[in-house]
Amino acid sequence: MSGVSSAGFRLRVTYAKSGRCRFLSHLEVTRALERTCRRAGLPYAVTQGFSPRIKMAFGPALPVGTGGLCEAFDVWLTRYVPPATAAEALARVSAPELMAAGAAYVDGREASLTAGSSVARYLVETEEVDARTLREALGAQVRTGELRLEHQGKTKVFDLPRVLPKEPWVEVGEDGEVRAHLTVLIGPDGSLRPETLVLAALSSIGAPGIVTRVTRTEILRP
Amino acid sequence: MSDVWQRTERLLDGVERPVRYIDREWNSVVDRSADVRFALVYPDAYEVGQSNQAIGILYERLNALEGVAAERAFLPWKDMISAMRRQGVQLSTLESSTPLRECDVVGITLPYELTYTNILEVLDLAGIPLHAADRGDRDPVVVAGGPCAFNPEPVSMFVDAVLLGDGEEAVADIVEVIRVSRRSGREAALGALASVPGVYVPSLHQPGTGRPVRKRILKDLDAVRAPVCPIVPFMDVIHDRVAVEVARGCTRGCRFCHAGMVYRPVRERSADSVVRDVMASLRCTGYEEVSLTSLSTTDHSAIEDVLRRLTRRLDGTATSLSLPSLRVDAHGVDMAALASAGKKTGLTFAPEAGTQRLRDVINKNITEADLLETVHRAMSAGWRRVKLYFMVGLPTETDEDVRAIGQLVDKVVAAAKEATPKGERGALRFAVSVSTFVPKAHTPFQWEPQATREAIAERQSLLRASMPRKGVELSWHDPETSFLEGVLARGGRELGPVIEAAWRSGSLFDAWSDEFDYARWESAFAEAGVDAVAIACAAREPGSLLPWGHLSSGVDEAFLVSERERALRAEVTPDCSGGPCSDCGVCPSLGASVRTAGERRV
Repeated sequence: MSGVSSAGFRLRVTYAKSGRCRFLSHLEVTRALERTCRRAGLPYAVTQGFSPRIKMAFGPALPVGTGGLCEAFDVWLTRYVPPATAAEALARVSAPELMAAGAAYVDGREASLTAGSSVARYLVETEEVDARTLREALGAQVRTGELRLEHQGKTKVFDLPRVLPKEPWVEVGEDGEVRAHLTVLIGPDGSLRPETLVLAALSSIGAPGIVTRVTRTEILRP
Repeated sequence: MSDVWQRTERLLDGVERPVRYIDREWNSVVDRSADVRFALVYPDAYEVGQSNQAIGILYERLNALEGVAAERAFLPWKDMISAMRRQGVQLSTLESSTPLRECDVVGITLPYELTYTNILEVLDLAGIPLHAADRGDRDPVVVAGGPCAFNPEPVSMFVDAVLLGDGEEAVADIVEVIRVSRRSGREAALGALASVPGVYVPSLHQPGTGRPVRKRILKDLDAVRAPVCPIVPFMDVIHDRVAVEVARGCTRGCRFCHAGMVYRPVRERSADSVVRDVMASLRCTGYEEVSLTSLSTTDHSAIEDVLRRLTRRLDGTATSLSLPSLRVDAHGVDMAALASAGKKTGLTFAPEAGTQRLRDVINKNITEADLLETVHRAMSAGWRRVKLYFMVGLPTETDEDVRAIGQLVDKVVAAAKEATPKGERGALRFAVSVSTFVPKAHTPFQWEPQATREAIAERQSLLRASMPRKGVELSWHDPETSFLEGVLARGGRELGPVIEAAWRSGSLFDAWSDEFDYARWESAFAEAGVDAVAIACAAREPGSLLPWGHLSSGVDEAFLVSERERALRAEVTPDCSGGPCSDCGVCPSLGASVRTAGERRV
């Protein structure tokens, strides 16, 4: 059966980090999800060692302040539970803004959720800037080919053609808010934060604008 | 009822740990339709306040009442306070973001003297007049409670009422009084509150006059179920685990111990109810750790039964059990072994003093042989880390007593080494924490002078010189912090203006060592013309008027006097929970009794 290994049944759970829970750190999210699995009464496997804990693995971290609609974690079970039953049990005991959305077994030999580089899509919501200006700012920034960031006395340079596999695009939402869609390479060496790109692009042309919300909408795994 | 969430949310991108301000934790409750809104405030940062067990108990009790909504509020950290003040955002409850000033009752915990300036910050940030006398009919009633409620005089000008003792039943009475009397105005509400047993209204009571206000007590802990669905914080808070109270009160009779005197008598919960509530709470929270709390958990008469049943049920679930305090005897080690299920982290013991004479003075009924045998047994059972608690500045203490702490630690190290196989001795770790004794109200040492800062600095220096150098990590308390704690613990109403002046000059989060600045307090004492040394360091005589003399924990003053005299003669008094009555007076005066689940080993 898919999902079975010597460690048990590997269940992949998708969840959303939304609303106020976007302010959680990755560590806070992982701790909350461990407790959700316990509350759900799933027959979870336990790690070996001095401090045994529930056997789980998580997808790429989201920064504090960034939400996610397609996040995932793996939890190993000691016996088979129908995926729909597990998903329902998890949803029943999930914090509303850290909600389990679905579950399916994956092969025990499948690569981890963080293995290698992936590409993620983000939605960046803004205020105090119009769509045309934001489009121009992002276009101009991308044409420079790089983004230089100063942080704690160090300069980090992002090679934009490499870290942005697709051109950013901008739309006006139903409520009139201006939203940028960015596709960004994420990997173990550190990823470009989409709101940083948006704010740097606006700043470089002297345009106003603030970012009100950032959401990772999709992760495309290799 | 306003909702300030949107304004609060806009501040969160610019502050550290925004998780402190978002609510939405599992088991948090919102009821917008309630007619009485009760804000439960802990005057410190979220990670400290959310760990407080009393807040959890009252949250559940109040929310279970018809038409009552209890919500939490904590003091935001400094960056958030600045952002809120800059943007004119008032302090609100977490759950519904209702400004505190729109609540009917603001219940503030008085956990520790060094949080007093935080209380002023809470009130001011909430837009509630600081002085009770300046509040009007539209302002909430500010009710304080908690350990420092037994001498609330230093903060009495900032609060409307104070609850002494257990809150489980009293909060329902307070809510009912507020519900009925609020339409008749503030004065009527305060008058009605003063008639609730256990409630003290400072504006209606002059210290030293009238009948004393006696503490409220929950006679049978099993009559009220422990909260089994407490809030599960997202943040890594100080005590991040299920906490089930197994007993309240301790009658070991340590003469320095405030909690041991004011929470008498001992009331144990039955083994069945402890096991039931632990299991229910784990299911409802998903926590991976349980703490069985009380002032002296391994004294619980059924602790062995409880631990055996829990370890059996929790086997294979990666759930750990912890005991917050251990007896210095074989039973303590055996219980720790049972709780640890093979995982040996560290053990903590509190001999408190270095010589037998001084341990007898403070009624810490353990001998050096007890301690060494216990350490030997623990090391033989596989533990490798020991933490020891001591105090300096105790009544009658001499230099010899202080030097003896180092000598005792030396013997503990030797006993541990002897019981540890040679190849494993490198793993041995000893931590010695030495605090400064602060005389507290309602204890037999309430009349004693506190050692001056200079004397404490000398004793700490002596202590450092006498401590074994190798393998022992020594820590001690800042003398100025302890001195201020002593002043605030035994001062009276004259301290209100001092606290206000300290707060106005920027004192905040004084319990956080990085934030504490004694110079501000020194200026505040000078500004208010109050002699701090006279409050903390002067000897008082039994029979003299004390600032807390009109408040009663139920313990007779005659008992405290007698215990003081016995202390000065280095005579011990046995624990009444498993032995003869010590005539402290608490049972007859409160109509209560020692309630144990079985026979205690004392």
